[in-house]
Amino acid sequence: MFSDPWGSFILNPFTNVLLLIYNLIGHNFGLAVILFTILIRAITWPLTGQQLKGAKVMQELQSDKEWQDIQKKYAKDREKLASEQMRIYKERGVNPLASCLPTLIQFPIIIGLYQSVTRALAATPLTLLQLARSIYPFMNASAIIPLNSHFLWMDLGRPEGLPFPAGLAISFLPYGFPTLAIIVALTTYLQTKLTLPPSSNPNDQAAAMNGMMTIYMPLFLGWLVLNYASGLAVYFVTSNLLGIIQYGMMGRVNWRNLLPGGSKPAPSNVKKNK
Amino acid sequence: MKRLTLISFALLGAILLSACSSNATRGTSWPGLAADSNNAYLANGQFIYAARLSDGSKLWQYPDKGGAQQFFATPLLTPDGQLIVGSAGTDQGLISLDPATGKEKWSAPFTGAKDRWIAAPLAINDTLYAPNNDGSLYALKLATGDLLWSLSIGHPLWGAPVTDGKLIFLTSLDHFLYAIDPQSKKIVWKTDLGGSAAGSPVLSADQTTLYVGSFGSKIFAINAADGSTRWTANTNAWVWSDPVINGSNIYITDINGQVYSLDASSGKNSWANISPDGPITGSPLLTTEGVIVTTESGSVYSLDHNGKVLWSTALGGKIYTAPVASGNLVLVAPLGAQYLLYAVNEKDGSLLPWHFDGK
Repeated sequence: MFSDPWGSFILNPFTNVLLLIYNLIGHNFGLAVILFTILIRAITWPLTGQQLKGAKVMQELQSDKEWQDIQKKYAKDREKLASEQMRIYKERGVNPLASCLPTLIQFPIIIGLYQSVTRALAATPLTLLQLARSIYPFMNASAIIPLNSHFLWMDLGRPEGLPFPAGLAISFLPYGFPTLAIIVALTTYLQTKLTLPPSSNPNDQAAAMNGMMTIYMPLFLGWLVLNYASGLAVYFVTSNLLGIIQYGMMGRVNWRNLLPGGSKPAPSNVKKNK
Repeated sequence: MKRLTLISFALLGAILLSACSSNATRGTSWPGLAADSNNAYLANGQFIYAARLSDGSKLWQYPDKGGAQQFFATPLLTPDGQLIVGSAGTDQGLISLDPATGKEKWSAPFTGAKDRWIAAPLAINDTLYAPNNDGSLYALKLATGDLLWSLSIGHPLWGAPVTDGKLIFLTSLDHFLYAIDPQSKKIVWKTDLGGSAAGSPVLSADQTTLYVGSFGSKIFAINAADGSTRWTANTNAWVWSDPVINGSNIYITDINGQVYSLDASSGKNSWANISPDGPITGSPLLTTEGVIVTTESGSVYSLDHNGKVLWSTALGGKIYTAPVASGNLVLVAPLGAQYLLYAVNEKDGSLLPWHFDGK
C-alpha cells in the first residue's frame, strides 16, 4: 500500500468513487464525470474560499501606497525589501501563504480527479489491467467493465468530432469538426478572463503573465481535447463552468474583464489598516 | 509573486495533465509479437520491427519515422505472404506489409474503421476478418484491403477471431462469445461469459468445442454448433490469456498468476496452486516438455505436464505479451526491459547471446 501512496490514497479512491457514481446512476459515464467533478469541487469549496480570501488580501496589499513605496525605495536592496515586507505583513496581520497553501492542497486533488477519469476510460489492454487492479473488491469489476462510454453524441473514450459534410474532410482534424475542443477553449478563456483580478499597477509583471495565460491556457486545453479522449473534455467543461459559478458566488467574478479594455488597471482604493 | 506562483502551478498542472492523458488514452500497451522460422515481428509503440532470429539484427522497421501510428496488436502472417497489423494511433489504419522488406503491400492502409485496432485479424482463403475497438468486425479483400462488408457487434473487440472453417468465433468486451456466419454475415449464436473477454477462444481438435476464459473469473467449454455451455470452471482471478490444448488437457492462466491444467471433458483442475512469480496475461506456449508461461515480474517459466518447474529465466521489465515459438526458440517481448526482444532456448531456458533493441 505504501509503495504507491499516490495510487493508494488519491488515484484508487477517486477512481472507485467515480465508478460507484457510474454504477449508482445507471451506467452513464458522462453524467458520472459531471457529478464526480461537482462532488470534488464541493469538497474543496472551503479551500477555494480560503484561497480567494488570501489572494484578495494580497492583491489589496499590492495597491497599498506604503507597499508600493517600499518597492520603489528598496528596489536595489532585496534584503531590506524582504524585511520591510515582513514588517508590513506583521503589522497588517497578513499571512502571505494564505492563498498559496489551499492551492497546494487542491492541486493533487485536481490531478487525481483528472487521472481517475483517464484511468476509468481504460482505452488499451495495459490501462484496463491497471483499472482492474485499482477497483476495490466490493465493486465487482467484471460487472462494471466495459464502461458505457457513450454520452450525448460522443464516445468518451475517443477524441470528439462531428462529421464533416461529404467531401469536406480536413487532414489535421481526423475526428471531424471539434465542437468540444472549441467549447473547452471558450469556457477556459471565460473562466480565466472572468476570474482575473484587476491590476492596479500598469507595470505589473504578474498581470502581463495573467494576460498570457488567458490566451495560452484555452489553446493548450483545446489542443489536448482535440487529440485525446472526450471524457476529459467533459471534465474540463464541467470544471470551468463550476469555477465560474463558484467565483461568482464568492463575488469574485469580474464581468468588466469581458469588455474591451475592461482589464485595464483599476484605481487603487485600499485603505491602510493601521 | 503570489500570482507568479499560481501561474507556475497552473503550467505544471497542464504539463502533468498532458502527460497523464497521453499515457491513458493514446495507446500505451504491451507489444504484439509474431514470428516465422527466420524472423520475429514486433509491434511496439510507434514502430513495427522485423528482427533476424539468427543474430538479432534489424531487418527493417515500419514506418521509417514515428508519426500518428501506435502498434500493439499482434501481427498476423498470412498464407499468401503478408504481415498485417492494425494501428491503435490516431490514423486507425490496418496495414499490410511485405514480411521480407517491410514495404506496404496494399495500395493504402484500410482506414474505414471508427476506432483503434487492438485485436489481431484472421485470414480465411481470400478474406481478412478484422475486429476493431469500434465494435465491428470488418471483412476485407485479403489481396487489396478493400472493404467487403462489416458487422456491428456493439462493444470493443480485443480478441483475435478463430474459425472452424464455417463459422467465425469472436469474443467481445460486452461479455459475450459470438459465432458469426461469414456467408450470411449474421450472428448465429452468442453465449454470455459472465464478464468481458479480451482473449481468443480455442477450438478442440475435433472442432466441436470452444474453450475460452473471461473477466468473470471463469473458463467455459462451449458447444461450437449452438453456443450451449458444456462446463464452466472457476479461476481465482480474471482470465486474460487464450487457453492452449494438449490432448485431453487445457492449460490456461489468470491475472493473479495461477496456471491451470483442466481436463478438457470435465473442466476439473489437476494442478493445485501452481503459481509462478507474478500475474500472467500472456497465453501459455505449448512445448514438447510441457508449457511455458511468462509473468509480469519479468520471468519465463517452463513447466512440465505435472506442473513442475523445469527452468525459469528472469529477463527484467514486465512481460504481458504471450511468448512465441520459432523452432527451438522461445521469443519474449517484455515491456520496460533493457531490450525489446529476447530469445530463450526452449530446452533449458538459456538466453541467446543476442538481444534486439530496435536499433
